Amino acid sequence: MEMKGTGIISGNGDEQRTLVVVFLRGGADGLTLVPPIGNSDYYKVRPTLAVPEGDILKLGDANCGLNPAFSGLHDIYRDGGLTVASGIGSNDDTRSHFYAQDLMEHGGQLAGGWLGRFLRYREGRPPSALSAVALGKAMPEVLRGAPAATVMESLDTFTLGSGSGSTETLQTELGVLYGAEENILGPAARDTLQALDRVEKLRREDLPPENGAEYGDDSFSRGLRQTARLIRAQVGLEAVSLDLDGWDSHFAQETLITPLMTRLSEGLSAFHRDLGKLMKSVTVVVMTEFGRRVAENSSFGTDHGRGGTMLVMGGAERGNVLGKMPKLETGILVGPGDVPVETDYREILKPILTQHGAGKSMGEIFPES
Amino acid sequence: MISKPSDDLSRRVFLRGAAGVALFATSGCEKIEDWLGMGPKEGPVVPPSGDGIDLVSHVLNRVTFGPDPSEYARVKALGDDEKSAVAAFLEEQLEPEEIEDKRAQRAVRRLEAIHAPLGELYEYKEAHLLEQLTRATLIRATRSKRQLFEVMAHFWSDHFNIDISKKECRWLKAADDREVIRKHAMGNFADLVKASSLSPAMLWYLDGRENRKSDESEKPNENYARELLELHTLGVGGGYTQEDVMEVARCLSGWTVRGKNRFFKGKVEFHADAHDDGAKIVLGNEIAAGGGEKDLDEVLEIVCSHPSTARYLGEKLCVRFISDEPSKESISEVANAFLSNNGDIKSTLRAVFATPEFLEGPRAQKLKRPFEFIVSALRGSRAKVESEMELVDYLIRMGHAPFQYPTPDGYPDVASPWTGTLLWRWHFAIALSRNDVGEDIEVEEERLIEKAGGVDGLAACLLGRVPSEEEKSAIERSGEPLALLMASPGFQWR
Repeated sequence: MEMKGTGIISGNGDEQRTLVVVFLRGGADGLTLVPPIGNSDYYKVRPTLAVPEGDILKLGDANCGLNPAFSGLHDIYRDGGLTVASGIGSNDDTRSHFYAQDLMEHGGQLAGGWLGRFLRYREGRPPSALSAVALGKAMPEVLRGAPAATVMESLDTFTLGSGSGSTETLQTELGVLYGAEENILGPAARDTLQALDRVEKLRREDLPPENGAEYGDDSFSRGLRQTARLIRAQVGLEAVSLDLDGWDSHFAQETLITPLMTRLSEGLSAFHRDLGKLMKSVTVVVMTEFGRRVAENSSFGTDHGRGGTMLVMGGAERGNVLGKMPKLETGILVGPGDVPVETDYREILKPILTQHGAGKSMGEIFPES
Repeated sequence: MISKPSDDLSRRVFLRGAAGVALFATSGCEKIEDWLGMGPKEGPVVPPSGDGIDLVSHVLNRVTFGPDPSEYARVKALGDDEKSAVAAFLEEQLEPEEIEDKRAQRAVRRLEAIHAPLGELYEYKEAHLLEQLTRATLIRATRSKRQLFEVMAHFWSDHFNIDISKKECRWLKAADDREVIRKHAMGNFADLVKASSLSPAMLWYLDGRENRKSDESEKPNENYARELLELHTLGVGGGYTQEDVMEVARCLSGWTVRGKNRFFKGKVEFHADAHDDGAKIVLGNEIAAGGGEKDLDEVLEIVCSHPSTARYLGEKLCVRFISDEPSKESISEVANAFLSNNGDIKSTLRAVFATPEFLEGPRAQKLKRPFEFIVSALRGSRAKVESEMELVDYLIRMGHAPFQYPTPDGYPDVASPWTGTLLWRWHFAIALSRNDVGEDIEVEEERLIEKAGGVDGLAACLLGRVPSEEEKSAIERSGEPLALLMASPGFQWR
């Protein structure tokens, strides 16, 4: 049967924008991800954990740079595809992972997440079946409240129905019945069935990444690879959430987070390379619930702090360094000695959401700011 | 005497040991599943036999969360013809307190947290309260015989929406649901607004508790005043000005609620010293200086009896029960009934159900929202549900979990925002029919078909009409009648 879609997912050249939110859970240490340059205080309070100045990857003439584990991201920065922001955080001062993550994912003291509200209130046509996808086991808070959101661990396990019975036959018959619908469910069903077909095709073909990109075999890289496949298949993907866990580095921080930084950088680099020109309509935002204490603790780790880091890759980014790298001397630091929050994370997100079509809905997406 | 547990009684419940035995001992002539509020009671099934949706099916679709297979026959038998049967059914539903509803009540009673007195709600974990409140909402919608009442509770929950995760609403929404929404769902609108205005949860949600005017420098918080006019009473374009919003805020200044770190937490109080006691003008009505806490009553009197409120409520009720775009005539009939009955909700509903557009207008053209879809599927398939949490997962995926709408306007009640949910509707229909939703949710497809006198009978029960030739062929080819029917377009509309 000939199924004509609404154009939402028809692959007719519409510019479908996709926003990918990567959450670094556990509170990633901003001063290690994006260390300061020319700051002698840094070496005083971080005698074992400071990144040696000669190893820091320079960001133009900014007073901060990238951790040497981020060499892939550094290349993207030099090509104008990455923005680095420091002193970013929320108004949460509980320093609790739970509260800070919830607050940042909800975008304030609200029920659903800001990404969910973006999909609900943004201008234009209503979201379609696969507008929002979380790669993982459970619905992340950031997507809660989306008009429709799909959680999948992998494309390979995602189906319309499991167990006995022929789901394929049911799908065919639904196509017949909805094909005759002349109301708004007709086109919505055709979009949904097309999205399902495209996912099925992706699964069957399992094409290799493009442009020589190579993904690692960890779950984060696999999630990015699935995301790239979905974007390329034009299933109508607008918002993706995936996590990279394990940043809570109270103890032996360097050995704990260096491999994570490598994974982050290599995963995002592969994704960037894989999508190539498509990256102009894809934005990746990397965020974390808070940064960590400036001074290292007695077990070569750091404790929960305030200001942290955000990275933005792709989309309209031109390679920027945002936010001030604060001086680290006492008097500037907040609470028990934390990097102050100079910029609210929502201020970074707002222009990105505008690029992605938020239109006049910013007041609904972030009602409290 | 109980000879054997009925089929409805699952092993799981049967094994609940001591509690079960105690109930056996005390229950006398009632069946144990009645005591536990388990499983739907069955009457004879006579499927609808019209090619189109007849009046009985239409009214069941619109006024309830969807019929269970025996409901059609029961309602039809209430009168000599369709019209009188429907009239009797509506009158029955308009007097919910007269409807025996022990099964649903018992099932909900087990959720102890939401019944706690106001201050004691704080003794529970927030997540536990949300879980119990959500489960209670699903249980009542699915099992209560007071269906219209539950539909109205659902309606008012959106009208007076509170996002449960805001501040102390986490604890207090349970009291709002009980003392505001459910207490007045079919009472008088003015009482409902009054209860809502002094609801601890609402005082938190729309910042009424912060609305103070202790001295010249303090500016009242306008949040609640604005939503009271814009969303709860007059509606956008209802003829109020920014000036009116500010005047209403002045009138309501001084009302607050005690926070969780204080004695008598959750207690609502009026602080005269934080009240702006000067004269005000609200929508052209003068409110004399020195009114103190009585200003609230004056404001509510003005806004509740305002013609814009009647029109706005009339329109919202017509959108709920009649059409996404109801006619001006229907709206004005309902608005007139609202005004002439001083906001009596039952009389207003009678007017909705008496409009020609409701009775004779297009049928099956209101899209079920995800909550309504899920509940109608459970009712239509006589699902035995012992745990509702898997259902909540589906509601979250479809963006329609109760009490979790982020903004004060409540979930939209028209079709277009919900068209992206088909994937998960189909997923649910297939999982439900295959007993794949969760261990604690079970349907018996073969038995349903047998009771309905065959596959076509089951289709007629679910669709409210005889299936079309296309539907019959699709059902046959699919090999899974229940899954296909619940996923089919015909079942998405009410």
